[in-house]
Amino acid sequence: MSPSSSPFDARVDLGRGLVLTNPISVASGTFGFGFEAVQLAGIDHLGAIFSKGTTPLPREGNAPPRIAETAAGMLNSIGLQNPGVEVVARDYAPRWAEWPIPVLVNVAGADVTEYVTVVQRLDGLAGVAGIELNISCPNIAHGLDFATEPGAAARCVAAVRASTDLPLVVKLSPNVTDIAEVARAVEDAGADAISAVNTFLGLKVDLGSRRPVLPGHGSGGLSGPAIKPMALAAVIRVRRAVAIPVIGIGGISTASDALEFFVAGADAVQVGTANFNNPLASREIVAGCLDHAHRWGLRRFSDLRWQDLGPPGAS
Amino acid sequence: MAGTSARVLAGENDLARSVDELAVCTAIRPLQGNLFEISFRAPEIAGRAQPGEFAQIWVDTGPVPLLRRPFSFSRADSGSGAIAFYLAAIGEGSRRLQRFRPGDQARILGPLGQGFTLPERPGRSALVSGGLGAAPFPLLAERLQARGEELVWINGAATRSGLYPDDMVPRGIGEIVLLTEDGSRGQVGRVTAGLLPRLQGLDRVYACGPNQMLAAVAGQVATAAPAPDVEVSIEAPMGCGFGTCLGCAIPLLGRGARDESLLGLCCRQGPVLPGAVIDWERLLQQPAHLG
Repeated sequence: MSPSSSPFDARVDLGRGLVLTNPISVASGTFGFGFEAVQLAGIDHLGAIFSKGTTPLPREGNAPPRIAETAAGMLNSIGLQNPGVEVVARDYAPRWAEWPIPVLVNVAGADVTEYVTVVQRLDGLAGVAGIELNISCPNIAHGLDFATEPGAAARCVAAVRASTDLPLVVKLSPNVTDIAEVARAVEDAGADAISAVNTFLGLKVDLGSRRPVLPGHGSGGLSGPAIKPMALAAVIRVRRAVAIPVIGIGGISTASDALEFFVAGADAVQVGTANFNNPLASREIVAGCLDHAHRWGLRRFSDLRWQDLGPPGAS
Repeated sequence: MAGTSARVLAGENDLARSVDELAVCTAIRPLQGNLFEISFRAPEIAGRAQPGEFAQIWVDTGPVPLLRRPFSFSRADSGSGAIAFYLAAIGEGSRRLQRFRPGDQARILGPLGQGFTLPERPGRSALVSGGLGAAPFPLLAERLQARGEELVWINGAATRSGLYPDDMVPRGIGEIVLLTEDGSRGQVGRVTAGLLPRLQGLDRVYACGPNQMLAAVAGQVATAAPAPDVEVSIEAPMGCGFGTCLGCAIPLLGRGARDESLLGLCCRQGPVLPGAVIDWERLLQQPAHLG
């Protein structure tokens, strides 16, 4: 039997029994808690949903303006606006339990205790398929600390790991000297998978007022097609550093973009900012990736991996 | 407008009515200065659009500009399947739209957001617009007139070239009051000068324009006894238009026991909101829309 006649298998195993039907998901902060998309474009095509960042208490978020468009990208400084874990656990999780696809809750906190508090509240709830630990939010005080220092990242991940058996994905910041070092630290601390990467620190200036467009320090997180080459470089570095699954994120707006991340060693991908300008983006990307897989006679998306990275599972 | 307030507090609307439609440009009408009206054939959206609601136009599927651009419907005709927008070419998105030619296509997502509340029983309404704020009023005027509403349109701008064109104003509006700040046309002054002598006897005020103007109108209306209902269409920098990017936060007055303001989303709870739910003080402290 030739490879091209073997059935194509789109599934991806993120560990601890969490198997996605396909590797295309949507990134935290670009899809809310899924309820808008359910009305607008549907969710059944997705491998998973990664929720908006959730904290112990409700957060109102940062003062406007919160977003600014840049060349092929956008800056955001939302400041983790969310209703708090109690609302997520009590009101959202039961609705997710009815959905045909898994929802992983993105968890954020100001210190290790806060992360653990949120995760413990979510542990064991129907509708919560896993945790994505956001140790890399650029828009809250101390948000980046956990992601930039491998020791701090490892302590945070280890504490959360000890408090839940849920699949644990850790989302890394690109705003570090050596992302590979942080990736190894969180893998050693018990992460089941790694999301790479969160937004890049950026700033837009308004010449008229001679100040940054965004308030506060003026900087925000850059996302969109502008960051794709940098995200791909980060994913390759993480891929070479760890054996656990890597979820590639950064400027994916078309099926070709997603496929490029598989070449760079990603096991799965998240569609982010493209969800804003095109609510059908993830649906179009899933269809486009499957179409390419059939045309190219793939057995799995990981067949696309650059040979230099070694075979899947042998990193 | 109890219905409106309940709607605002719930923070929900029905995105299921929104469609992403491949629309075809049918006309570009250049107006004074950088103003223009662009029309599309988009039958699905045209059949659903209500006054004050908006659409997100995907100006260019290339990565620049990245985000769609939100515009209120100026016209929507379910019979012909036509929708139209009144714009100024001031940013990357609107400048590209200005270069559209009949036959050009764009994906348009809509209708989105909360529009103006249409009265159950006919009465007397004032439409108060500042500059580009005239955009939603042709459609609103048409729908109000169909319900037998008596209308006065108080139409202001900084200078005469910024006024909504006379020949595009729907017919049958009882009174049209023009004001310019520089006196180049109509009365000299701002829209509040035109509204003040007409407040008595109004059941409703609908306003759209710069936030400063909206605050002044809402404040003025609140002092009338009895005060007419007032709804304003707010603008905020918007990313997605359907509530997921959380970019278009606007300060609303607190609910429940705690007397504090909270941030709502312009795209979901607005863009049209009752004047009384907006924390005007905090809104006006925000820097103007940049970038």
